[in-house]
Amino acid sequence: MNKFSILLSAACVAAGLTATSAVAQTKPILIGVPTSMQLQVGRDTQDAIKMAIDDLNAKGGVLGRKLEMVVADETENPETGISAIKKLTGDDKVDVLIGGYTSGVTLAQEPHISAAKTIYLGVGAASPSITAKVKQDYDNYKYIFRVGPLNSAIQAGQLTDFIAHFVKGELGISKIAIVGENAKWVQDLVPLLKKGATAAGADIRDTEMFDAQTSDFSPLFAKVKESGAQYMLVILSHASSDVFAKQWYDARFPVPYGGIDVKSMDGDFCKRIGGKSIGELAVNFATRAPLTPKTIPFWDEFVKRTSRQPVYTAFGANDAVYIYAQAVERAKTTNADAVIKELEKTNYVGIPGTIQFDATHDVKPGTATYRGPALIFAQWRENCDREVIYPKTMRTAEFIYPPWIKK
Amino acid sequence: MFGKRIDFVGAVVFVAFMAALPLIFGGNYLIGVLTVSVIYGIWAVSWDFMSGLTGRENFGHSLFIGVGAYTAGFLNTKFGLNGWWSLPASMIVATVFALIIGVPTLRLRGPYFALAMLSGAVIMQRLMLIFWEQTGGEEGINGIEPLIRSQLGFYYFALATLVATTALLLALARSHWGLILRAIRGDEATCQAAGINVTYYKIASLVISAAFAGAGGALYAHYQLQVSPQLFAIVTSITIITMVYVGGMASIYGPVGGAILLLLLTELLRDFGEWRLMVYSCTLILILFFLPNGLIAPTWRRMKTLLAGPK
Amino acid sequence: MLEILIHGAVSSAIYAMLAVGFTLIFGVARVLNLAHGSFYALGAYGAYYFTSHFHMPLLPAALLAIGLVALFGVFVEKVLVRPMRRSQLAVLMITLAVALVVEQALFLTFGSEYRNVPEFVSRKFTIGGVDVGGQRLLALAVSVILIGLLWIFIQRTRLGSAILAVSQDPEAASYMGIPSDRIFSIVMALSAALAAAAGVLAGPFLTVQPTMWLLPIVKAFAIVIVGGLGSIPGSILAALMLGYAETIVGYTISTSWTEIVSVAATLLMLVFRPAGMFGKRAAF
Repeated sequence: MNKFSILLSAACVAAGLTATSAVAQTKPILIGVPTSMQLQVGRDTQDAIKMAIDDLNAKGGVLGRKLEMVVADETENPETGISAIKKLTGDDKVDVLIGGYTSGVTLAQEPHISAAKTIYLGVGAASPSITAKVKQDYDNYKYIFRVGPLNSAIQAGQLTDFIAHFVKGELGISKIAIVGENAKWVQDLVPLLKKGATAAGADIRDTEMFDAQTSDFSPLFAKVKESGAQYMLVILSHASSDVFAKQWYDARFPVPYGGIDVKSMDGDFCKRIGGKSIGELAVNFATRAPLTPKTIPFWDEFVKRTSRQPVYTAFGANDAVYIYAQAVERAKTTNADAVIKELEKTNYVGIPGTIQFDATHDVKPGTATYRGPALIFAQWRENCDREVIYPKTMRTAEFIYPPWIKK
Repeated sequence: MFGKRIDFVGAVVFVAFMAALPLIFGGNYLIGVLTVSVIYGIWAVSWDFMSGLTGRENFGHSLFIGVGAYTAGFLNTKFGLNGWWSLPASMIVATVFALIIGVPTLRLRGPYFALAMLSGAVIMQRLMLIFWEQTGGEEGINGIEPLIRSQLGFYYFALATLVATTALLLALARSHWGLILRAIRGDEATCQAAGINVTYYKIASLVISAAFAGAGGALYAHYQLQVSPQLFAIVTSITIITMVYVGGMASIYGPVGGAILLLLLTELLRDFGEWRLMVYSCTLILILFFLPNGLIAPTWRRMKTLLAGPK
Repeated sequence: MLEILIHGAVSSAIYAMLAVGFTLIFGVARVLNLAHGSFYALGAYGAYYFTSHFHMPLLPAALLAIGLVALFGVFVEKVLVRPMRRSQLAVLMITLAVALVVEQALFLTFGSEYRNVPEFVSRKFTIGGVDVGGQRLLALAVSVILIGLLWIFIQRTRLGSAILAVSQDPEAASYMGIPSDRIFSIVMALSAALAAAAGVLAGPFLTVQPTMWLLPIVKAFAIVIVGGLGSIPGSILAALMLGYAETIVGYTISTSWTEIVSVAATLLMLVFRPAGMFGKRAAF
């Protein structure tokens, strides 16, 4: 109760003193971080923001003001997520929000973010519906931006390219099974993927959706095998990727797999399941490669500070702090409307690529001519190392089949 | 007589205190926390009316809350109906569900009834996920209109609903009705032998309980502006039972205090970060261990005897 | 077809190990132990911790984990559950709180990531064209052996008949000079050890994560209701039924329907035959 009431009375006192703007000028800029604190994505979000804040503060802060971070746990439950937003905006009175992970939680938070008129830079949730509102109702939802990851519709497009150019083009496999978890962003993605892949000449033999709590995949594997598919494309985030990989290996399942597998982005994924993911191709949003001049320095610094390899939320979170700081510098104020105008002009060289926002405040994906963020397919190899296989321009090694699949 | 008057005074003081809280401290965060806790209060009271009185612990109260909230969500977003229709509509839908699940299962007792209700809630949660095309799946329904735009206005409306619900259920519990429900808890067979239509009373009490839970669900939907299948989760029911337990079983008013206390506690524990849920669970063990009859209702009774002074 | 037969048997075996312990402690002490799933989780985490941090060989690590979980079970029974036994709801609440504390303790020490319990058998077996991981077959075999041993223990030994006596009529048993409190502790230790063994055996191919206790407890509860609370043969039969029903639904319809099967079966059973297949006590 103590800290709570102190904060409340502090807020009252501050409100009383608004006339003397000298006080307000030296007050730190508060960054509110709503995230799942107990999960890896949440811990990385916090550490990456801390890194950026330390760096900016060492250089004298923003507009002469220091940056500070307040964290609120949003778990994976919409109710806690909403109350986290209310605490950060209503109680801590943060200047900006950076965070997010579960699409359902972020969508639930949006009306409350909009009511609080606070800028939100999303770094974790992939559902396209999150930024779709910006266009539908600009005045109310202009506060929402997504720095990362690429939304699932774009991911579907890039997965289609992967099927067309790599699975079909290079491996010569056209019989494909799609396996995904029952979640909004996957449900958004699968129809697009099916359409795109079929247009690219692939033969989608089977589509299996399963609950995130599923712990026995043998029925699913049996169906994939029966369908005659020769490649299994997975779309997993909240599901138990670890169990999936283990059961795939234990049964020496005769179909190679790869795709979006969020937990397989963890640096220790392969080691913690005893090397059973060797052969899997998993999407990453960045790897320790010179994607931009920032990628390797960030990666090494992060590993040095936390002794962990960063997951995708770390890239977005770190970039988001700099993007916001630069927008504030340009706007010369933290006033939300002015900063939004500047954020819309963002052209920032970030960790996974150049960050620019489109008309819906969503991050623009990379193309052949534009170096924005793009999916990088890396394969788990001997000793749990990762080698980039696709896109071809970045390839560090040739694809290999798992030892039990003869080709 | 004195006891009744002091109860009334206590209630007035409590309501005045709850109404004054946001005026004293202000801030949308506090109002938000209070609003949610008041809605949980409605759920806890409605749980206590059926389960506390008849001794049939309903581990699937979330079923009624969920259908109430989803009714509100559907009517408001798919059919564009004004939010005020949600309250009666969700009460009706929850009543229907109470009849469907209550008629075959209310003859069960103890863990059997608990599990039957829990299964009902789990099945509904699963169906919401399986038929995601209609229900919005994991993310549920978004874009629900607020019932009242002003935060403070909504809070007062929810508080008024809570007061009305509690007063009504308390009156019922203290009437001839409540007596029969308590008697059923004690010895069902004797009640039956005495010519009381036990089944009727049990089902009616479940229906009343469900209707208020459903109305609370609709309020919740129009306040959070979204509903998700997590409302159906076992955790929701268990949270409510814990609130009733802390408040004092079968007292009807106790659960209100239990709900507000526990929700404020969860919010205050935010400072503990990762340790928050650990501290919460440990507090729970301590309460269960040292206050087997709950906290709110027994404390009030003790205060009352103190105020009444030596006879 | 053969795939359903084999995988159904493996699921059933793990369910049976969980359900038998759960029904045993209910039958003897009338305790519905919601912390039963935590014993399963702690068994798996114990095996992980001792092998990865102390580099112990797997077998001693597994046995140590099972032993410690049994001790923890006795602690929970003696210190937390015993004073609450007068009220069934109080027991439910306190064991639930224990489960939450264990979950949070696992979160705080090991994080949310999945953990790897090493397997006893890593090679793959092919039975009639069906590929099965060796660990699954081992889990099946060990579960059959353990439940068999438990059955012999209860039917053939002096201690076993004391347990049986307490479960049939605790009052009469105490008149006969059977120390029912000690029997409760012993049964709790057995029940916890069985759950921990299930965790050690299934950990290598199922989920090992702080929230892993929830699903098994829901399943165990369902199985025990279908089989009849307190009946060991009932719970074995129900475990087989649900294990196979889920596998069949998973293979023929969709894996997203599997979770609904056991709950729906429970509800139907409660509506039509509340005492379960083998339950002696009436439910209403």
